[in-house]
Amino acid sequence: MDKTNSAPRISRSAAVFAVLFAALALTPLSGDLYLLTQLTQLLVYGIFAMSLSLIWGHVGILCFGQAIFFGLGGYIMALVTKGMVPGMTGWLASSCSGLILAIFVTVFFALALGYFLFYGRLSGPYLGIVTLAISVLMERIAVNWYYIGGYNGLTSVPALNFFGFELLDPNELYYFILASAAAMYLFCRGVVISPFGRVLAAIKNNEERAEYFGYNTAQYKIKVFAISAGVAAFSGALFATVAEFVSPTIVGFGLSTEALIWVALGGREVLLASFLGALTVRALEAFLSDILTYYWILILGLFLILCVTLFPQGLFGRLLADRPKS
Amino acid sequence: MADLIIQLLNGLNYILILILVAMGLVIIFGLMKVINMAHGEFFLLGAYTVVLTDRLGLGFWVGLILAPIVVGLLGAVLELTLIRHLYKRFLDTILATWGVSIIIKQTIIIIFGPAGLMTQPPLPQLISFGSLEYPAYRLFIMAVSLSVIAVTFYVFYKTDLGLASRAVIANAPMASACGINTRRMYRITFTFGSALAGLAGATMAPLMSCDPQMGLGFFIPAFLAILVGGAGTLSGILAGGSVVGGSESFISAVYSPVTAQIVVFSIAIIIIRARPQGLLGGKGRG
Repeated sequence: MDKTNSAPRISRSAAVFAVLFAALALTPLSGDLYLLTQLTQLLVYGIFAMSLSLIWGHVGILCFGQAIFFGLGGYIMALVTKGMVPGMTGWLASSCSGLILAIFVTVFFALALGYFLFYGRLSGPYLGIVTLAISVLMERIAVNWYYIGGYNGLTSVPALNFFGFELLDPNELYYFILASAAAMYLFCRGVVISPFGRVLAAIKNNEERAEYFGYNTAQYKIKVFAISAGVAAFSGALFATVAEFVSPTIVGFGLSTEALIWVALGGREVLLASFLGALTVRALEAFLSDILTYYWILILGLFLILCVTLFPQGLFGRLLADRPKS
Repeated sequence: MADLIIQLLNGLNYILILILVAMGLVIIFGLMKVINMAHGEFFLLGAYTVVLTDRLGLGFWVGLILAPIVVGLLGAVLELTLIRHLYKRFLDTILATWGVSIIIKQTIIIIFGPAGLMTQPPLPQLISFGSLEYPAYRLFIMAVSLSVIAVTFYVFYKTDLGLASRAVIANAPMASACGINTRRMYRITFTFGSALAGLAGATMAPLMSCDPQMGLGFFIPAFLAILVGGAGTLSGILAGGSVVGGSESFISAVYSPVTAQIVVFSIAIIIIRARPQGLLGGKGRG
């Protein structure tokens, strides 16, 4: 019975997805290496933005500290691949085990955190500020922990290396990150349209009602919190190898805020809109922050207010949404 | 022994300021169901008002008087232009006030620069109690914050205005039906809550180096104090502020500020898990 309704819906987001990623896949043909390396980083931020959109836009959990997971993933990746984790040498210090460990540790951290927060009945705004506090705290820990580089962070993180095949060429790296972004989009999309995702949508719509229907909403929220943390950790781990460094700022308050702005401006309720939001804001920042210096952040704050009050769906949200919101 | 007493007094000092900041947040949240993310930046503005008067040669005392007025007015303007359009959109008010906080902080950076600034100590003398010497200014802060807290409690529990505001907290539509002008209550509340943050910022300015990040440093513990004490009640923050402020200043004195923050935060998270309604919140949600 859903067929007539759902047919155009799927084709819409699929079409946007196809066009967007095809365009991105053609970019290396321009031969502009600077553009390519910039774009590689932007894609990593795009994945990060999707992780935030997953819990904020699709479940209604406002997370002010999403960089906790990004930074955790990045630091673990850096520590593992630099061989700084005691007992992990040889093949255990490879990119593969780094990625796996980054995701697993972060997911477990998120599960533990979620257990305290969601069973503690922290609702929307409270949760947001508690995650904000954690983010600030993690940044301070990173600054004061000398083994992981303190204030300066860790530099010369090795490039991605899979079974002896090193991704040094910018083109190869770009395509790998692009493929990762596409895979992460499909993964998040899969979560959203799965039966699990339906329950999440119900929670977002009206948590009490979902509870009355017999769903353990706290458990669902913990799970999706962990999934989102895993995606963020993956993007953080990629960031560590792409940028070749990690520093306390990537776990802290600044990046958390920025991610929130990307997603709010792009459109929190649509994964691809958040992805584009990150790309757009970051690209603009690369051009404008030199000219506008301190005023850039001021303008960003102003845009955030305007966007929240006048266009809650974001810049791309309505354009890319599957169907009008009921 | 004397060191211990000085530490205790310093701790009390911090607790009182924290309660002052938290009280503004709680009053605004209680009445309007708005979490003001710019509250830390209101604190910041209060502190920088003092920095400004200090630089202009007007001195600290003018700044102290001016700070709550300036910040309160800003709060009123903000309520009129922004907050009032977002009353029913809970999460959006957080984001919007968050945007405000970014703008305020960045404006301060543009005007005063990102570095820390010191002001002239207004009361440099020490007061001695027998063998004990304690800065007069810190005693002054305690007196000011204690009296402001006491006056707030008095207004809230003993006056008609307080009765009306408690009615709005209990049930806003019903209060409105009884003839209370809720719109006006909201405006007063937001102005007053902002002014409290401004005052707290102004009193703290001479004690620390003022930098654009200091607002967050008070906003987060104040917020934790609210969560620990229970969001619904004004008296809850007395308990919450004491737990958070007391343990933070004690542990930073013994170990280090970072350890203190980690421990305090862990305590807060555990309390939130064990008693979601807060230490003094008896009735649970709703």
